[in-house]
Amino acid sequence: MNTDAIIRTGRQTVLIVEDELVNQQLLGFILKESYNVLYAQNGQEALDLLHSEKYRVSMILLDIIMPVMDGITFLRLAGEDERIRSIPIIVLTSDNEMELEAFRLGAMDFIKKPYDMPDIILARVRRIIEFVEDREIIRDVEHDPLTGLYNRSFFFEYSRRLMEREKERTFDMLAIDVDRFRIANEVYGRTFGDQVLCSLADGIRKVLHGHLGISCRADADLFYVLIEHGADLKNSLEQIRSCIHEGEHPSVLRIRMGAYSGIGFEHPVSWYAEASKSACDSIRRNYQTDIMIYDEELHRRELYNERLIADVDTAIEERQFVVFFQPKYAIQGERPVLVSAEALIRWNHPELGFVSPGDFIPLFEENGLILKVDNYVWREASRRLREWKERYKLDLHISVNVSRKDLFSTDLSQQLQSIIIENGLSVDDVTLEVTESAYSQDADQMLKAVKTLRDGGFKIEMDDFGSGYSSLNMLCMMPIDALKIDMKFVRNIAISKTGYRIVELVAEMARALNVPTIIEGVEDREQYELVRRVGCDIVQGYYFSRPVDAENFEKLIEKEASQRG
Amino acid sequence: MLTVETLRNYGANVKEGMARCLNNETFYLKMVRLGLSDANFDRLKTAVSNKNAVAAYEAAHGLKGSIGNLALTPIFNPVCELVEMLRGKTEMVDTGNLVDTIIAERDKLLKLDS
Repeated sequence: MNTDAIIRTGRQTVLIVEDELVNQQLLGFILKESYNVLYAQNGQEALDLLHSEKYRVSMILLDIIMPVMDGITFLRLAGEDERIRSIPIIVLTSDNEMELEAFRLGAMDFIKKPYDMPDIILARVRRIIEFVEDREIIRDVEHDPLTGLYNRSFFFEYSRRLMEREKERTFDMLAIDVDRFRIANEVYGRTFGDQVLCSLADGIRKVLHGHLGISCRADADLFYVLIEHGADLKNSLEQIRSCIHEGEHPSVLRIRMGAYSGIGFEHPVSWYAEASKSACDSIRRNYQTDIMIYDEELHRRELYNERLIADVDTAIEERQFVVFFQPKYAIQGERPVLVSAEALIRWNHPELGFVSPGDFIPLFEENGLILKVDNYVWREASRRLREWKERYKLDLHISVNVSRKDLFSTDLSQQLQSIIIENGLSVDDVTLEVTESAYSQDADQMLKAVKTLRDGGFKIEMDDFGSGYSSLNMLCMMPIDALKIDMKFVRNIAISKTGYRIVELVAEMARALNVPTIIEGVEDREQYELVRRVGCDIVQGYYFSRPVDAENFEKLIEKEASQRG
Repeated sequence: MLTVETLRNYGANVKEGMARCLNNETFYLKMVRLGLSDANFDRLKTAVSNKNAVAAYEAAHGLKGSIGNLALTPIFNPVCELVEMLRGKTEMVDTGNLVDTIIAERDKLLKLDS
């Protein structure tokens, strides 16, 4: 191989593949003023040179009839080689008959022998190199580098163009999301996460094969697909799933799909994408299905949610949020003793009326507004407790909920400390309830946050125990001060032996951990007697009282004070 | 000694050949000498005497490209004629005295250069 080219920075390199020395030297003479020039005598030499990766070749000038490996074979092999197929190829030929075959195999242009004048050759080489480089720049800008799918903005633009061009067709918008992707990324590593995303993108490409449409990676683990109406969504999701090589961690990933069927021109494409994402998000906690189609009900729900989000600041300012208290009684003594209360939020909206916490708490947990709302509850509950303690001199404390999002706040402990100090309370007066699902979702972060709170003196109650799927191992690792059994267990305690035995076992486990057991949802005398018999320490439920406002809770305190004498 | 003038007198389209060499006379003459020593001349003779049509076509085709680029018209024209006669043939056809003409024209130039 004659490689007389000196590679200089900033100049593009042209590879001339030609066995005829005159033709080879002549072309090199024309090009060398503008480009670095490399030579190969046949297709095989050219492949070897390109595979050596010593040079970044911007263009290949290729003869057709050569010994060892001819130009047609080279074109075929180059087309199958990812590293080479992006390099533009101009074929050198004195015949017309090979043109069609060469074009079919990816050649971009021809230079006839005898050659055109040098200026024309130079102009053609320059034009094609510039065209291909521009195309690569555009490709880099418009594609997600990891998956090779479009990025969000180009997807929206190209979707719009596609829909305009294909007006007679109907399209659907799909949003595809991976559940708990961030956790999988943390647990199994970034490489695993990247593999999942690439496999998911491959799955989407398979779905689009044979259907008109395009796709993008819009966000970390969110993909959008514009696809001609008619594709079977269930099959599409299965196809995507089958591409994800989960290895030995099959239970980690759940793929959800949201769809907007029959999108139009009334809204921008991004609106339909958001709608499909809303449909996808709406089944985040619903494990009955992995596919949801956006409909009127979902639309109404979205508008309602938007209203709640928009009104939260006003609600805090105007004190529309009201803190209710559900009493907790210690039951293992001679008589039930009021020892605590869980502070619960209620929202009396001036126009929407009573808004269920089930509607706004998960919503605010998703967008982080829960921090504001929880803060409001902590302040209100602490203020009330201070009043009651001053008035009744009773040993009473309250428990407040701390959401998973709160635990991500780096100054959570300081925030709570300052509320306690402002109200002249101590950390023993306010117990923090952290739901079990928080532990299982972000184990490391939760461990860290809970340890910080305990270091600050706070007592931690594991809430909703048994409702999620935290492992027993987690219980050993997590520092807690009380175990609160989920109310669904109480429902079965009087119905079945198994139900009874389970509560008994959890109570035993709590004793082994040396922490008290709290059981919620006790509604009648029978349940009360049973939980007392199995050794639960504290009871919360309608049997004693439903959640009540501060005035009514104060009456219960007054009663307790009089009983204590 | 080959010069631009002797090539012109020989019948080469010197203007065209020189233009392909960016009007660099030295380079043009260097390329002409390289072209005259092209192994395809000998390959062509051997292939024709062995009645190997495919090999003869490949050699003639190679010459067509290089001699054409040098604009050596008296060689180029019979080469083109020969290429068309042999194109797609697997059996040797009667090529008349084309090969002799090609070799004779090449030898004429070699003699001029001696």
